Amino acid sequence: MTGQTTMSNTNDPTSSSSPIMEVQDLAVSFDNASAGPGGPRIQAVAGVNMSIYPRQTLAVVGESGCGKSVTAMSSMQLIPRPPGRFDRGRIMFEGRDLLSLTEQQMLKVRGGDIAMIFQEPMTSLNPVYTIGDQILEAILLHQDVSNEEAVRIAVKAMDDVGIPDPMERLRSYPHQFSGGMRQRVMIAMALACQPKLLLADEPTTALDVTIQAQILELLRELQRTRDMAIMLITHNLGVVAENADVVCVMYAGRVVEYAPVFDLFDRPMHPYTRGLFRSIPRLNDSKHRLITVDEIVEDPAEYQQLPGHAEGVVPWWPDPPDGVKPELVDGDEYILHQIDDNRWVGCFRSTHLDSMEASPPSLDFRRPDLSSVGQ
Amino acid sequence: MFSYIARRLVLMIPTLIGITFVVFMLLALSPGGIGASLRVSGGQMEASKAAQLEAYLEDRYGLNDPVVYQYAKWLGRICPVKFGTRDQVTPSGELIRPPKSLVTPWMKESLYPDLENPEARKNEPIDTGSLDTDEKKARAYRTAARDYAKARADYIVATKELKHAYARYAKATGIEGAVDDDGNPRESRIPGVTIDAAAPSWKPVQAAAYKVLETYEIAEVARDRLSTIFGIKPFDEVGVPVLPGLVSLASPDLGTAFSRGRPVSDLIADALPVTLLLNLVTIPIIYLIAIPSGMLAAARQGTLFDVLSGATYVALWSIPRVWAGVLLIGYLANNQYLGWFPVSGLHDSDAASFAFLPTWTDGEFHRGYMLDTLWHICLPVACFVYSGFAVLSKQTRAAMLDNFNADYVRTARAKGVRNIDVVFKHVFRNSLLPLITMFVTIFPFLLAGSVVIEKIFSIPGMGSLVLEAITLRDRELLLANTIIIAVINLLALLLADILYALADPRVTYD
Amino acid sequence: MTSKDEQQKTISGIDVMRGVGIDRAKDFWADAWDRVYRRPGAFCALVWIGIIGFFAIFSPLIANGLPIWLVQQNADGTTTASSPLWQNLTATDLMLLLGGFIGIPWILIPMKIGRGHRLGMLITLGILSGLIIVLASAVSGYFGDSGASRWAREIEQTAWFVPVSTSVICIICGAGFLFIPFVDRILPRTVLVVVTCLLTGLAVGSRWNEPLINYEKYQEMAADGDARAWYTLVPWSPNESRTDLYVVPPGLTVKEKLDEMSEKPFGDRQFIMGTDGIGRDVLSQMMHACRLSISIGLISTGIAVLIGVTLGALMGYFGGIVDLLLYRLVEIFMAIPVLFLLIVAAAVLPRNTYVMMIIIGCVAWTGAARFTRAEFLKLRSQDFVQSARAVGLPLRSILFKHMLPNGVTPVLVDSSFAIASAILFEATLSFLGLGPEGQASWGKLLSSATGVTGTFVWWLAIFPGLAIFLTVLAYNLLGEAFRDAIDPKLRKAAH
Repeated sequence: MTGQTTMSNTNDPTSSSSPIMEVQDLAVSFDNASAGPGGPRIQAVAGVNMSIYPRQTLAVVGESGCGKSVTAMSSMQLIPRPPGRFDRGRIMFEGRDLLSLTEQQMLKVRGGDIAMIFQEPMTSLNPVYTIGDQILEAILLHQDVSNEEAVRIAVKAMDDVGIPDPMERLRSYPHQFSGGMRQRVMIAMALACQPKLLLADEPTTALDVTIQAQILELLRELQRTRDMAIMLITHNLGVVAENADVVCVMYAGRVVEYAPVFDLFDRPMHPYTRGLFRSIPRLNDSKHRLITVDEIVEDPAEYQQLPGHAEGVVPWWPDPPDGVKPELVDGDEYILHQIDDNRWVGCFRSTHLDSMEASPPSLDFRRPDLSSVGQ
Repeated sequence: MFSYIARRLVLMIPTLIGITFVVFMLLALSPGGIGASLRVSGGQMEASKAAQLEAYLEDRYGLNDPVVYQYAKWLGRICPVKFGTRDQVTPSGELIRPPKSLVTPWMKESLYPDLENPEARKNEPIDTGSLDTDEKKARAYRTAARDYAKARADYIVATKELKHAYARYAKATGIEGAVDDDGNPRESRIPGVTIDAAAPSWKPVQAAAYKVLETYEIAEVARDRLSTIFGIKPFDEVGVPVLPGLVSLASPDLGTAFSRGRPVSDLIADALPVTLLLNLVTIPIIYLIAIPSGMLAAARQGTLFDVLSGATYVALWSIPRVWAGVLLIGYLANNQYLGWFPVSGLHDSDAASFAFLPTWTDGEFHRGYMLDTLWHICLPVACFVYSGFAVLSKQTRAAMLDNFNADYVRTARAKGVRNIDVVFKHVFRNSLLPLITMFVTIFPFLLAGSVVIEKIFSIPGMGSLVLEAITLRDRELLLANTIIIAVINLLALLLADILYALADPRVTYD
Repeated sequence: MTSKDEQQKTISGIDVMRGVGIDRAKDFWADAWDRVYRRPGAFCALVWIGIIGFFAIFSPLIANGLPIWLVQQNADGTTTASSPLWQNLTATDLMLLLGGFIGIPWILIPMKIGRGHRLGMLITLGILSGLIIVLASAVSGYFGDSGASRWAREIEQTAWFVPVSTSVICIICGAGFLFIPFVDRILPRTVLVVVTCLLTGLAVGSRWNEPLINYEKYQEMAADGDARAWYTLVPWSPNESRTDLYVVPPGLTVKEKLDEMSEKPFGDRQFIMGTDGIGRDVLSQMMHACRLSISIGLISTGIAVLIGVTLGALMGYFGGIVDLLLYRLVEIFMAIPVLFLLIVAAAVLPRNTYVMMIIIGCVAWTGAARFTRAEFLKLRSQDFVQSARAVGLPLRSILFKHMLPNGVTPVLVDSSFAIASAILFEATLSFLGLGPEGQASWGKLLSSATGVTGTFVWWLAIFPGLAIFLTVLAYNLLGEAFRDAIDPKLRKAAH
């Protein structure tokens, strides 16, 4: 295993390495097609910050439409422009701003340095080409190898993701595969070029539960052996709990909470995050009725629990209950505030917070089970 | 795949039966019925020729039979599987059949039951033994056939005469409702009528009736002779026997076009290649122009080019082909204006003497047969192309745009595939599928259009043949055209399905 | 209208999630109409169709060879005034004019009743009136035919034949239409039906036989000074044929073609679009042909949609053996090009407008059937249909009340294209000489462009061709606009 030596070097969670990708103050907006030309634009994300370290799994959580996918797609410049537009911000990857790269330069990054897998394995593969064609295309684009060598790599990649009889299956068409198998093909295609970062956009949503577990297990296994960072976009908290190192909770195009996975699950700080956890049904729960997220975010008491509430540290929420909103400064009412060493919470930009120096979220943390495997 | 094609071919049969049934009923139930050509051209046609045509239609359809039975008879002719005695074919290619029995004389029971038979049949047996060579047999057959045709024509003419005589009688004696407005007697009224033998107009009726019986007897005798000679097989039998004497296979018998005096199959053999030529030249041109322009419009979606080309497609597609044809021929071909192209036809009048390829002799350019034909089909093909091209371009654009938004395109772009490769390799290949399906729309459209365009440009193809059949009321020709056009159309649709299966790996026909 | 400030506003993701900035859902068809209306192409198309419709209704009052008012000098010095134009209007003309004068304000003036509802009432009454006229013309054709039996002709001669047969037709049709709930309350419905029947009956009864018209009689009377005549804007009738005035180029007057007319009062009559091969005014024919074009398009498509939707609904709802058998029928009609079938049918059936409408409708229904079938196959398994079935609603109610409104959209969008192709079919058939007889038609005019004199007559090609083209284009543009407005996927692609 090639990953083994590097892994032992980075075993120590405290060892300082630099993030592989940093999203800084990203804002993306879209033309509103239904309003016609000249109509108001839709702000999909605004002021999003996050960073990913090598071998780390960053889970981006939130309900649909909150801007998870837009963030990921932006880092590949896959947002169609127009109607999309990058309003501000940077996405730093190995010292370069991905948003400012030309299309030509992006071609090298896409599939080469950063790979992406999507939610819909059923439609994400081109139906008229064989699996082999599609994997080979990726390999030949990014690696300077002969055809035979490329086939060898493809077979290896398919073998790695657990597709039986890969040499045969190269000649099959996507429709001859089941959904889970197709997602494996997608992963094989993404990993064939040894990317440093994998963007997994709800990779298991469309699959049934047993296949979900297999695919996630596979991803973790591959991450371990290849020293790869994963941005796992999901709205499934169970998936997050089992796979993520660091969790970024988003709502309405903003980051509302950013924390290591255990801390977050132990002690969620933002009312929305708390609402999310409380609304998960539990078998041993004696309560008859589930608590909805709305009930929590409409309760002023929830806002007061945040440390420093007295000084004006109030969790940000687009439509807070009366009397919660602190005195705000002009401009954006939102700021991502570092509450603790490893905790960030989206807050109202009160006068108190505005005076403090903002630090973008950066957590070089990995769950110990991952580190321990390498030893 | 082959089993699929075979199954489709078999399934075509009910469809063909259905469509011919619809057209046959349309013809048979319209005023005049299947024998309408008798009425329309009856005035100009000389009596013997009219009688011949009537005898032909009588043999072929049984004009007094119910319509469905007539249809079944026609279908039996068309069907390649034949039952009973096999037809024979003369060396010149004429198809001959065992003679059918004659219709019994008109109103024999009610009109002249007490009339004595004119004379006993003088049925001399033919000495078939003496006809030992093929040549003798053939000669004997021809003589007998001529005799029979003449006797039968006489019989038919006599019957007509009788009807007229009776009509005059009915009119003179004022029998209520015995004669319809066309001057023909109503058969349903006659049995109840009491004959006034004393009336002066009854005499001609009696004379005519006698004549009918006489000619009937002669025709019967001639028929028997012909039948006997046919039985000794003067000519080669048609087709391949399956069960000897019972079932055989033979090519469909499309009948004779009386308006032209030629077998329908000959006419179609002349016309079909012309129409196919036009279509086969047109279809590649349509696809070659439409696909790039549609792709370009899709790739530049929302730009001025896209909007303008979209408007152009709708406009082109809305131009009636009759108008386009008239304008093209008026301004480009007519000598009043530019006169660049020939006004009509498929070749120059002396094209037969041309060399096939263009030549350069004696310092003069001879365009040759091929270029001459191309020159002649320029305008018709242009007429075919513009509207088909518009439909297809629009479809290409829509298909491309559909696929631009597809998930697999996102995957390809995430792999780092260049934009141009995304368009050509991924989007285009998938957009091809609906374009193949479009063939199903375009081909019938072109086939139907050939009626109009061949008429405008005076091209002797299937379309002209159809129009000719209609104007001359040649229903035999019309029915044959229907079935041929339906077959071509269905085969083209089958071809489109097969191409689709080849292009789309998801479709399997096994 | 949005102001400039509002245009630059951006909607945040929060707003979108809360539904701010998204238009409140409008009524589906009202929304579609709004979108169609806003497209310049579609708007122009509507205007053009409006113009054609206007001529379809009012052409007898605009282009007519008969004097609209005639004052005759009698021998004894008195004068009699009459309107030959009015006397020679057919029942169809009368009812269309009546419909035009009442119907257009009825639709345009805002009222308490919804516009769609008002349009529905107008269309229903129009169908009633049209049905009476068609039946009357069929009866008159049957009894007045020279080939009819003697008793039929004897009956036709009697004085009571016209009033009795007209009333019988009116009563039968009216009674049938009383059962159609186009107005909810029975009393106003009865009044409307009875009034329509009465008016149509009067029009039909007073114009039972088509009179023979002598156009030149009035001109001669006026020329001789026996009468004074006032004419309409275009003083020619479409079927007024002057063999001495054939192929007159556009813009020429009578006296420029015929020298001897220079002194006579009718010499300065102009042929704005020229004349055709047998000396009929082209402009007048163009105007009168609007009616054929509009009515063929609408009525034959109506028939096709009716057949197609019914069969398609049965196929889609029942599936199985019904689908299998009926789909064979669809296949049979698809096996052969539609135009070919039309040519055969038009060639052997009687050449009149109604027959042509029916045959186009009966041949062109497969598209509607396939669309409806596909929609009903989808709808069949949906919950609201299942629940309708579960509560035991009758089949008619399930099919036509619950499923049809949900599944008919693609058919209605497609019907605009179907109208366009019906107009094309009519033009093509008329061009081939298989069109309705005695009826001005653009296709017929076009066919005389090359055929008449052996030369190419440009005004016979340009004007009617342009009219067909623009009308077909208008319906196609309208269809496109509707499709884009209704199909959300295409709507997205359009931006």
